[in-house]
Amino acid sequence: MLNYNSPLVKENSYSELSMKVINPIMKLIIRGKKREFLSGVGKAINMILPTESCTSSTSNDTTALWLSPDEWMILSNNVIDKNTNSYEQENHLINNISKINLGAVVDVTDQYVLINIEGKKIFDLLSTGCPFNFNDFRNKKGGVIQSLMAKIDIIVHHKEINNVNLLVRRSFSEHLYSFLSDAASRI
Amino acid sequence: MFLINCPFCGEREQSEFKAGGEAHISRPKQPTELSDDEWAEYLFMRKNIKGIQFERWNHSHGCRKWFNIARDTSNDQIKAVYKMGQKPPVI
Ligand SMILES: [Zn+2]
Repeated sequence: MLNYNSPLVKENSYSELSMKVINPIMKLIIRGKKREFLSGVGKAINMILPTESCTSSTSNDTTALWLSPDEWMILSNNVIDKNTNSYEQENHLINNISKINLGAVVDVTDQYVLINIEGKKIFDLLSTGCPFNFNDFRNKKGGVIQSLMAKIDIIVHHKEINNVNLLVRRSFSEHLYSFLSDAASRI
Repeated sequence: MFLINCPFCGEREQSEFKAGGEAHISRPKQPTELSDDEWAEYLFMRKNIKGIQFERWNHSHGCRKWFNIARDTSNDQIKAVYKMGQKPPVI
């Protein structure tokens, strides 16, 4: 049994900005190219993968983020049961995708840390360390980008207006979080 | 510093990318028939011209896909971006 011990248990608020680490969230990386892969995933998790670049799609319990033309990240919308590391959706995907060699399914639940940021100043905060131009992105609900923040790889998911999920690799999360809290206290 | 228009993700800053050297170099079909000099030519010798150069780039901090660009090395202007496997454009 895997032990979900988040490297970060943090929550901070600033003026018009709050950040919180949400844990545990199911995170899967799926990769595949064939048409049967796309339909197989659709069947397994009951939603259509976004094929347009830098977008996402959401169902009641799951969100799929476009990462690359043949790579997606599947997230649970809510925190999952702490006492198990077997997820229904992962099992469906393994049976419909990897077991019949249509693509790859990898559980990265413990590899990524999800930081939720809320407030009006999200993009002012991200602009303190990210080279991406957020001018159009800030109005585009559902947008997904991968970029750098203070030289750390990040995935930014524009969940709702004034609500962004930031995904970062576990070993960088503490450094990124302190960078963000420092930046947030100054804007 | 310059912007690169990734064929998959759109316009991004250069720091998200890695340069992968000269494009359109194909591996010799019969390496055993080459002389050492010819093999060294294939392995190491690259153009380093002032002007338009065809290069491979990788969007390493984004979609992680490889693609080609035609870049003017004298002023970093990018004349064309095209996907892997496509023929270099006439510039
Ligand atoms: Zn890209």
